[in-house]
Amino acid sequence: MKGTVLGDAGLHMTAQDNVVTAIDDLETGTEIPYDGVTVELDEAVPFGHKIALVAMEPGDAVVKYGETIGEAVEPIAPGEWVHTHNCESRRGRGDRAANDGEVA
Amino acid sequence: MSAPTGTASDRESTPSFDAYRRADGRTGVRNRVLVVPSVICSHIVAERIAESEESAVCAPHDHGCGQIGDDHEQTERTLLNLTRNPNVAGATVVGLGCEHLQSGPFADRVAESGVTVRETAIQDAGGTDACVEEGAAATADLAAAAADADRADATLADLTVGVVSSDLEESTRTVADPLVGDAVDALIDAGARVVVAGTDRLAAHRDAAADRAATATVAESVRTVGERDAGRPGNARRVARRAADAPFDEIVGAWGSASVDELVPYGGRASTGGGLTLVDSPSRFEEAATALAAAGASIVVHVTADGVPTGHPVVPVLKVTGNETTAEALADDIDLDAHTADVDAVLDELGRVAGGTPTASEEHGLTSFAISRVGPSL
Amino acid sequence: MRTFDGYPRDDGPAGVRNYVAVIPTSVTASPVATAIADRSAENVRATPHQMGSDPPEATREQVERTLAGVGSNPNVGAALVVGLGTEATDVDDIADAVAATGRDVETLSIREAGGTAAAVDEGSELARSLREGISGARREERDADELVFAVECGGSDATSGIAANPAVGAACDRLVRDGGTATFSETPEFIGAEHVLAERCADEAVRERLLDRVERREATAELMGVDLRGAQPSPGNQEGGLTTIEEKSLGAISKGGTTPVRGIVDYAERLPVGGGLVLMDTPGYDIESVVGKVAGGAQVVAFTTGRGSTTGNPLAPVIKVTGNPKTADRLAANVDVDASDVIDGEPIDAVGERIYETLLAVAGGERTAAERRHLEEFAVNELQPNELASLRGDA
Repeated sequence: MKGTVLGDAGLHMTAQDNVVTAIDDLETGTEIPYDGVTVELDEAVPFGHKIALVAMEPGDAVVKYGETIGEAVEPIAPGEWVHTHNCESRRGRGDRAANDGEVA
Repeated sequence: MSAPTGTASDRESTPSFDAYRRADGRTGVRNRVLVVPSVICSHIVAERIAESEESAVCAPHDHGCGQIGDDHEQTERTLLNLTRNPNVAGATVVGLGCEHLQSGPFADRVAESGVTVRETAIQDAGGTDACVEEGAAATADLAAAAADADRADATLADLTVGVVSSDLEESTRTVADPLVGDAVDALIDAGARVVVAGTDRLAAHRDAAADRAATATVAESVRTVGERDAGRPGNARRVARRAADAPFDEIVGAWGSASVDELVPYGGRASTGGGLTLVDSPSRFEEAATALAAAGASIVVHVTADGVPTGHPVVPVLKVTGNETTAEALADDIDLDAHTADVDAVLDELGRVAGGTPTASEEHGLTSFAISRVGPSL
Repeated sequence: MRTFDGYPRDDGPAGVRNYVAVIPTSVTASPVATAIADRSAENVRATPHQMGSDPPEATREQVERTLAGVGSNPNVGAALVVGLGTEATDVDDIADAVAATGRDVETLSIREAGGTAAAVDEGSELARSLREGISGARREERDADELVFAVECGGSDATSGIAANPAVGAACDRLVRDGGTATFSETPEFIGAEHVLAERCADEAVRERLLDRVERREATAELMGVDLRGAQPSPGNQEGGLTTIEEKSLGAISKGGTTPVRGIVDYAERLPVGGGLVLMDTPGYDIESVVGKVAGGAQVVAFTTGRGSTTGNPLAPVIKVTGNPKTADRLAANVDVDASDVIDGEPIDAVGERIYETLLAVAGGERTAAERRHLEEFAVNELQPNELASLRGDA
């Protein structure tokens, strides 16, 4: 696992991730360079919390550690705080796991 | 069961001893500072703190981490009531910092119950060395305060005495238990509170056990405990497995003949005033002694055919055996040989221990401490 | 191939320490075992526990396997097995199992010795003589592939899954590349990421076994009225930034690295040497979990902690790693590796390399913070009635 720090602000665990994890309490406006563009925080994000690097639609996979950690349940813009208000588990509930077609 | 020697009035001239009168009115026979780790991860630090002070003892346990629900509640209730034991002059709570049973809030609850308490935690103190230092200083303060504990003349009638018989071997059932049972009767007649453990015997004798209850409410509780344990055959330990092999009266000889006037949960506190309390605890010595201490017993009588030699940090334990091989092989670890002792000998020994004479296990100093678990580790 | 200086053993890989283990067969004998170790020289270590004298059979079997495994750990040169004399587990049962590995073993019955004080005296004498017997052992250069490296996480916080765990995982990858065995456990913490682990299993048999063990642990928790899946992440975790159980568990399992999962063993079952990444099915309860892996043969343990657990083990050096800079500072005396540099921008791989170097140095004799302070917690997982019922299929 690579774990690259982007913009001195967010830890990008693997190249496939579409979120970074704040390595400090970050203020609104903090800039994070990613894939040739600058992602700007539109709100304050505390240490340990996640920030979206790309735009996501409801149903899109949120990827960290190179794996799906959940899905967006609201539209998410780049630079937006990602947490329980806009991201939900896909495997936390037995019924959902069944819908995924996998044996839990 | 053998006939008791003498009557209650013959024992009115029971010798008195110099005891400790606690703020809640209860009578203790030792004056210890209890260092209690809130979780297994702080138990070594707690032991080191206790070692730094002569009158301090430690109750190191395996719990606090990976416990939830009933298990967690039971651990906390037990530890809380141990700090309230009449032999305890004050308590130092030692935590780690990230466990369920957080030391800070727990110490607050101890203080609320009227116990003099100090608290320290490894993460807050800045490491194990710092925590030992902080805890030792706090314990020294508590020990100094303990030296001014209220003293009062007391007799056995003022005490709460705990009793556990930890096996159902023949010598236990036919010799040692009856002897202890007679002593229990004498104590209750004199006005003492006796607490007995060993509810693993109830499942096999639910009706007979319920008949021992003094009231319908207690009978109901006794039945409930019996039914709960009856739902788990085959997993039961030795005593529970053998309990069905003999009539109820024969397997609870150590409880005496009085009716049970209350049933308290494991780790719960018994009432004072003369009478018989049953605590919901297995017969295994280490767990039962803790339950009896949490219930408020200041001395514990332990009937053991095997000769389990360990004492308990909070209460002096009197070892009684009816097994002759054990009495001989473990002569230095046994206090009373039930073949040669009579009820007066038991009461005399209790009086001496209450007055400060160390028991065999207090002499060698090795103790065990365990809290009963409700469920598995997660 | 990296190397370390270890103690050669008659059977199996080299040890990184040379101890006399004093092993009680029951809770009753444990205080005597501890007293013997306290009175003896530094490399005599006790493993006290709480198993009763006559437990249900499955419980007894697991504890016996654990005690025999502990006595046969490569770090143990000789063993003294202590019992009261009336337990269902006879001292000879454990002693024979350990002696079969070529180690010197003595037994002690408290009853036969004549009571507690006499047993402590006799035990101290036996320990002294066993110690003399192993004092001639010398370290020699051994390949790193003889190492079985156990990893544990406890007192986790927001930094665990992004710094300490991935860094330790990078160290595991290195050891596996060098041909050794890396192992982690705490099955409840796979839940939410078990599909990821399942995908990484080397074959179908391992995959099935893994999923079965996860299911069993979840079922056990349900019997306690605990929903392991629905209750995660906890409110505290969420405050710290963890959004889903997948995220939390992926952070937890990152401590094992990225290589294929070659197997999963049961609690205290022997871990293969030169086996790559192998899991062990244990509860999340740290002390029991570490003991299970040491009983399985792990010589060294790395323990990641965010908030600062300070525990160790009597027979295996425990390397404490934290990714939380405040913890690294405040508990500096109890921390061995500060992995919070990942948060400052140091590549995970570089910190992983540091941890691997620490592993080799500790294997070669360098003492960890827990060792210097004699912090050596020990507890054996005991199967409880509803677990037993669940295993029998009649829960």
